[in-house]
Amino acid sequence: MLSGRGRTKIRAPRRGGTSAEEVDFNTTWIELQQSFTAIHTKDASGLSYEQLYRHAYRIVLRKKGDVLYKNVQDFEQKHLSTVVRPHFQSVLPPPLLVHLSPSMGGSTVSERRELGKHFLAQLRTIWEDHRLSMGMIADVLMYMDRVYCADQKRASIYDTSMSQFRNCILFSSADPVDKDGINVIGVLTKVILDQIQMERNGDIIENHLIKGCVYMLEALYIDSGLEVDENKLYNAQFEEEFLEASRKFYLAEGQQMLQAPDAGSYAANTMKRIRQETDRCRSTLLESTTPKIVKVVEDSLIRDQLKDLIEAETGVRYMIDNERLDLLHMIYDLNKRVDENKTELTKAVTGRILELGADLNKGVMAVSAVSSDTTADGGKVSAAGQQTLAALKWVEEVLQLKDRFDNILGLSFEGDLKLQTAQNRSFHEFINSQLFSRSAEYISLFIDENMKKGIKGKSENEIDTVLEKAITLLRYVQDKDLFERYYKKHLCKRLLMNKSLSNDVEKQMISRMKIELGNNFTLKLEAMFRDMTISGELTTGYKEHVARLGDADPRRVELAINVLTSMTWPLESMSSNNDREDQTKKMQCNYPGAIERIKLGFEKYYSEKHSGRKLTWQANLGTADIRATFPGKDGTKERKHELNVSTYAMIILMLFNDVPARHSLSFEEIQARTNIPKNELVRNLQSLAIAPKTRILIKEPMSKDIRASDQFLFNEGFQGKFHKIKIGVVMAANRVEGEAERRDTQKRNDDSRGFCIEAALVRIMKQRKELTHAHLFTETISLLNSQFRPDLAMIKKKVESLIEREYLERIEDENTPSYRYLA
Amino acid sequence: MTSNAPPSGQTDYVTLVSCDGFEFKVQRSSAEIAEAIRRMLDPRTGFYEAIHNRCEFSDITGLVLEKVVEYLYYNEKNKDAKEVPDMEIPPEMTLEVLMAADFLNV
Repeated sequence: MLSGRGRTKIRAPRRGGTSAEEVDFNTTWIELQQSFTAIHTKDASGLSYEQLYRHAYRIVLRKKGDVLYKNVQDFEQKHLSTVVRPHFQSVLPPPLLVHLSPSMGGSTVSERRELGKHFLAQLRTIWEDHRLSMGMIADVLMYMDRVYCADQKRASIYDTSMSQFRNCILFSSADPVDKDGINVIGVLTKVILDQIQMERNGDIIENHLIKGCVYMLEALYIDSGLEVDENKLYNAQFEEEFLEASRKFYLAEGQQMLQAPDAGSYAANTMKRIRQETDRCRSTLLESTTPKIVKVVEDSLIRDQLKDLIEAETGVRYMIDNERLDLLHMIYDLNKRVDENKTELTKAVTGRILELGADLNKGVMAVSAVSSDTTADGGKVSAAGQQTLAALKWVEEVLQLKDRFDNILGLSFEGDLKLQTAQNRSFHEFINSQLFSRSAEYISLFIDENMKKGIKGKSENEIDTVLEKAITLLRYVQDKDLFERYYKKHLCKRLLMNKSLSNDVEKQMISRMKIELGNNFTLKLEAMFRDMTISGELTTGYKEHVARLGDADPRRVELAINVLTSMTWPLESMSSNNDREDQTKKMQCNYPGAIERIKLGFEKYYSEKHSGRKLTWQANLGTADIRATFPGKDGTKERKHELNVSTYAMIILMLFNDVPARHSLSFEEIQARTNIPKNELVRNLQSLAIAPKTRILIKEPMSKDIRASDQFLFNEGFQGKFHKIKIGVVMAANRVEGEAERRDTQKRNDDSRGFCIEAALVRIMKQRKELTHAHLFTETISLLNSQFRPDLAMIKKKVESLIEREYLERIEDENTPSYRYLA
Repeated sequence: MTSNAPPSGQTDYVTLVSCDGFEFKVQRSSAEIAEAIRRMLDPRTGFYEAIHNRCEFSDITGLVLEKVVEYLYYNEKNKDAKEVPDMEIPPEMTLEVLMAADFLNV
């Protein structure tokens, strides 16, 4: 093969043209030059590309590339400086230069606009022309670019001519007379800024003209050697000045707007400006400027002013109070621009929540203060009622407040997480405020109220919302243990007095709490429900048991019983304990014979079922239905009434069964025979003998108070409108606690906290064996945090007591104070 | 094939003419693979060639131009293919074709 190929002769390529065509360089160049001139005057239709290209090709082939390159350069230089520049300068309106001088005296805006437009149009035209012509020339000289420039590492002829344009036109003086005057690019910058300024002031300008010139600035570099973005004329010469001028403008505008600070319109204006600048970058300048100019606006209109803005009279506070969600959203947006954390807005919002919350707290405190003044004497009932109403109102209002801010958060703050936590924190803060310690009680009261009345006639969904709301509030409460205490108390009363409307809802509530606060929290509450169920079974069981005994005594007393586990039921707090010694004595009152028999009968029945349990009868919690007969006299008929009374009242009334008619008993006698605690006796006698509608007994002498010396007499002349009469005892409803009660609850709560803390301490130490003081304390606090915030002094005291009881000991030779667990 | 097709803007086919008068009607997209031809025909410039959709090459013989056109089609046809068979070029023409290719910047 190789030898075969060797034989065929490779034909030498025909040299470019014969010697006849072998034209000399100068002739060729003149021809090229003429063509270039034609191209510059847009008269290329007669030219043959192939011919020109071939000329350049030949020249380069003859190693004359350097001469050609230089000639073209010189040619362009000459063209620019002798044709283009003078033309440009001649069409430039001289007044423009005057107008652009610092003293802008006398020129109106519209004059300036027209002149600027003219200038921009001219500049754009010569730029476009130059670009087009050079494109063509560079095309013709492609072979030179490809071979000569690439070999010699010179810039392509197109790029070179662009730099020439820059130097010759843009960097030359705009004023043909004054050679050192402002150069064209300076004028251009000023004109563009001027035009933009006009647009900012509401004028219409020719964006595409500016855009054309901006493209030119973008295409040219300040230094031909370094073609990086920062070196573009646009970035190097124009952008900086543009940003600076904008800064000045917006700072001034900001100052002016703040003169009459209407936060809403300020925010709206700022938003508008940002939008405008973004649009302007798109339509007039370059998109790459957008972030920079937006930042300038943000810096000069928002960053420093935002604080004033938010705190202004018409600021965030006003917006919140007047539900100006749109304005709040704008403020949010502005703040988000300059501050990732939205500190100022958060501060304002949380501040407002705290203020409103404090107002609510103050409101309810004021009610309780007023009523506690009047509590001293008889007005106690209504005062407590008022307080309860205030408490319910407080809860409602807190919920409303919460709804309001949730609304604002959702609609205005885009559900911002940071703001949400901040809002939650502020709710938390005012609900657990040091000055206001009743939130746990009030929330429990709120649930109580709803369980008793609120949910009547509501659909399941509505009930759900109520429960959800209650849980929301509960989430904020710090002292969960205190809440549990109150809730237990209120639940206890609801259950025992059958006040609860729906067992299902009660159970739902508890399961919700379980989800929210954990198993521990609801353990006892659930046990209470269990007790109620078991009691129901016991009652029916006992009834059957009695029926089986065959003791069909028509005068038999029916018994419904609730057996309550003493650990889970807050029985101690049920009795009103104005004098606590009654309680400590655990007095058992004397039941009338018939009742006593029943009681013994049940005790027997119960101990058969569950051996080893002791029943304590809580007469203060029970009620009885008794049938009373009032004899007719003086023409009135004999009347029968069914009286629903408390257990104690029943005992008192049955006492009178054994007393001869019109015979009276003294207070002391009643007390001695019944052994009812004194304060209970007083209260029951009050409702039996003083309350006007249920005066079953007559008191001698008639007065408002019960004294030890008073005599009581069965009121044979009692008249009632209804067959069934309910004789209430004062303690019936759940209401706000009085001062003494509160102190008591507080104390009891502190006691149980003490146990919790001790338990936590021991648990931690058992696990760790040795621990430093600081560690132990932080762990204890974090362990207990779900229930309550432990008091440091209390922890300290408990540690001391554990050391005393030799559960712990101090480690002696240790730098930091530490403890050791003693197993 | 007579010259001077009416200058009707951009046509799908363009005419390439050799120095010894041979004319080749070539698909525009193929012809424009050659950079020099592409620029010649660029309508924005308004050169004679662009207006008339006709390129006359006074340095290239019909024989060579035919080979060039063959290559342009060959290139167009195989532009997306892999493992393309070599194109046959008679050895005695190689230098001339090479020069033409350099001139046209193929």
